[in-house]
Amino acid sequence: MDELYLDNIDEYVNDHNKIVTYKWLSLTLGVHVNTAKQMLYHYLDHKRKESSAQLHATYLVSGKFVDNGQASHKVSVVREEQLEDFKAKMSLIVSVHVYSVQKALLKDSGPLYSVDYDAVKDNLRNCSKFSAISCPSAVPMSSVELQQAREIQRASAPEPEHKKPGMNGNVVNGTSKPPAKPQKGIMGMFASKPAPKNQDSSKDGKSEQKEDAPVVDVPKSKPAAKVNPMMNFFGNQTKKPEKPVKEEKEEAAQSSTTAAVEERQQHQSSQSQKRQEAAAVEQPKVSKKDSGSKTKRIEDSDSEEEQMEKKKRRRIRKPEPDSSDEDVIPDSPQPVEKKERSPSPKKAAEPVSHSHGNSEAKTRKRRRVLKSRTFVDEEGCIVTEKGYESESYSESEDNSKTAKQAPKDPAPAKPPSHKQEEKKSQKKSALSANKGGKQASIMGFFQKK
Amino acid sequence: MTTLTRQDLNFGQVVADILCEFLEVAIHLILYVREVYPSGIFQKRKKYNVPVQMSCHPELNQYIQDTLHCIKPLIEKNDAEKVVVVIMDKERHPVERFVFEISQPPLLSISSDTLLSHVEQLLRAFILKISVCDAVLNNNPPGCSFSVLVHTRDAATRNMEKVQVIKDFPWIVADEQEVHMQEPRLIPLKTMTSDLVKMQLYVEERAQKT
Repeated sequence: MDELYLDNIDEYVNDHNKIVTYKWLSLTLGVHVNTAKQMLYHYLDHKRKESSAQLHATYLVSGKFVDNGQASHKVSVVREEQLEDFKAKMSLIVSVHVYSVQKALLKDSGPLYSVDYDAVKDNLRNCSKFSAISCPSAVPMSSVELQQAREIQRASAPEPEHKKPGMNGNVVNGTSKPPAKPQKGIMGMFASKPAPKNQDSSKDGKSEQKEDAPVVDVPKSKPAAKVNPMMNFFGNQTKKPEKPVKEEKEEAAQSSTTAAVEERQQHQSSQSQKRQEAAAVEQPKVSKKDSGSKTKRIEDSDSEEEQMEKKKRRRIRKPEPDSSDEDVIPDSPQPVEKKERSPSPKKAAEPVSHSHGNSEAKTRKRRRVLKSRTFVDEEGCIVTEKGYESESYSESEDNSKTAKQAPKDPAPAKPPSHKQEEKKSQKKSALSANKGGKQASIMGFFQKK
Repeated sequence: MTTLTRQDLNFGQVVADILCEFLEVAIHLILYVREVYPSGIFQKRKKYNVPVQMSCHPELNQYIQDTLHCIKPLIEKNDAEKVVVVIMDKERHPVERFVFEISQPPLLSISSDTLLSHVEQLLRAFILKISVCDAVLNNNPPGCSFSVLVHTRDAATRNMEKVQVIKDFPWIVADEQEVHMQEPRLIPLKTMTSDLVKMQLYVEERAQKT
C-alpha cells in the first residue's frame, strides 16, 4: 500500500473540507472497506502525532450490551470523545473501527448519511464490490426472473402489510419508549422491536434504507458457535417451523436480513438453504472489522420475540406444507384474509338477523299494496285482477339487503304470524323493495356487473 | 427537447419554487449550524432524501416562509441577484453573511428526465457543505440574530415597496450598517451549475467577531 493515500485523505479532509467516511473512501479510491478503515486509522494517527490541524473522528462500535439483564447486540456510531465511555459500557466489544474523519465538529449525524448517499447511489450496481459482506449465491436476477418476482410480490403485497400493523402494534405496546426515528417501510417493522436506549451517550445510530437491497446483509461476524442460531434464523424465514428463538439470535442485523430475505419470499427454499449454508460458511471468514450494518437496534425480551415469531409462524405455516412453491404464495394471503373476513360476515349477519327479528316483532305494520290476483272465475277463465290489498310488512323488509339475507338465513326469529303469509310477504317485499328503489333506466341493462 | 425562454413564466415558477424550497431548508440549517437559536427547537426532517434540521418554532417558521414568499416573485423574474442571510451580533453589526448568488441562464432547455434529480443532487451537496461549514468559520458570539437581505438587479424593489406581497410584512431598504461588514474574509463554500440555475454560496466573515 503506497503512501499516496495519506495525501489523498489529507486533501479531502483539509482542502475540500469533506467528511471522509470509510465507505466513501473505499468507493472513491476503489479499495476494500477494511483497507479504507485502516487507511483512515493511519491517517488519524499520523495527523495526531504531527498535531497539526484539529481533526474530529467518529467510530463505529459494535458489541454486546447488557441493559437491566437484557442482552442485546448494539451497533453505534459514536464521537471520539464518547468512545471510551461507550466502550466501557459494553460487555463485549466485537468491533471498533474508524467511521469517519472530518475537520468540523458535527452536531448531529445527518451529514454522515448524506456523505454516503450519493456515493452509494452512483455505484448502485456494485456498491458491495468492496464490501466485507458477501454471499456468493446472491446473484442478480435476470430480467425474466425479475418480472416473475415482481408479479409474485404484487400478489403477496397484502400479506406483509397485514404483518406490519400487527407486529408494530404488538411490540410497541411492549417497549418502554417509542423509537425516536421515523419508521420507514420494512425497516419500520423491525425498528419497532428495538427501543433506542442510551441515545445520550452516543450519536444516533442510523437506520438507513440503502438502495443496495440486492446485497444480503449477513449479520456481523460472531464466533462459529453462533452459526447455528443464524442458520435457524434463515430456516425460519424460509417457512419452516422453528423452535423459539434463542437469545444469542437477537443479533442486530437479523432485521436487515429479514428485510432482505422477505423481499425474496418468492425464492425457492432450496436457494435459501444454499444461502444459509453459504452464510454460515461466510461467518467465520468475515473478519472482525467488517462493515456490518449501521442500524442501531436493541432487542427486547425473549417473550416479545417469541410473540413475533409466533405471528410470523402462524402466517407462514399455512403455505409450509405445500413446500415453497411459487404458486402457493398467492394463496397465503387468502386464507389469512378469509379467516379475518369470515368472522365479520357472521357478525354482520347476526345483528342483521337480530334486528330483523326485533323489528318484525316490534314494528309489524299493515299497508295497502297494489297487487294483481290471478284466479279462475265462474266461466273457467283465468282472470288477472289488480287491486289493493292490505299486506303486513315490517320495516326491515324495506331494506333489500336484509330482505335478501332473510331468505338466506336458516332460522331467523319468526314473528307470531302465518308462516305462509310471511314467506309470501317476504318474497313480495323483496320484489317491491327492489322495485321501490331507483327506477331502472334502460341503461341498467348495459351496466357491467 | 423543449427550449423555453425566460418569458415562459411557468418555467420561471418552477425554478422559483425549487429555489425557495431550497433556501428555506438552507436558512434553517444555517440557523442550526451557527447556533443562532438553541438546538432544542430543531427537529430532524427529510429533504432531498437526506436528514436536515428544521425548526419547530411556529413564529420563526412563519417569518422565514413570509420572507421567501416575498422573494419568490423576484426570483421568477430573475431580478434577485443575491439572497443573503446575515447573522448579526447584539449591536446589529453583521458578523457573518451567507451569500447565495443566483443567476438563471436566459435560455433554458428541459432536455431530460434526470434534470431534476441532478439538481436535487447538487442541492444535496449544498446542504452537506453548510453542515460542515463550521470547520472553516470561527464561532459566533452569543446572542446573535439574523436577517435576510435581497440584492436585486436594477430597481425591482420599487415595485415591492409599492405593492405589499404579504400584508404587514414590509420590506425596507437595508441600512448601510447592516450591509457593510468590517474586514470581511471571504470563504467560498459551494458552486453549482445546472441547466435550471446557477448558484454560488460563499460566506463573508468578520475577521474579529467578539
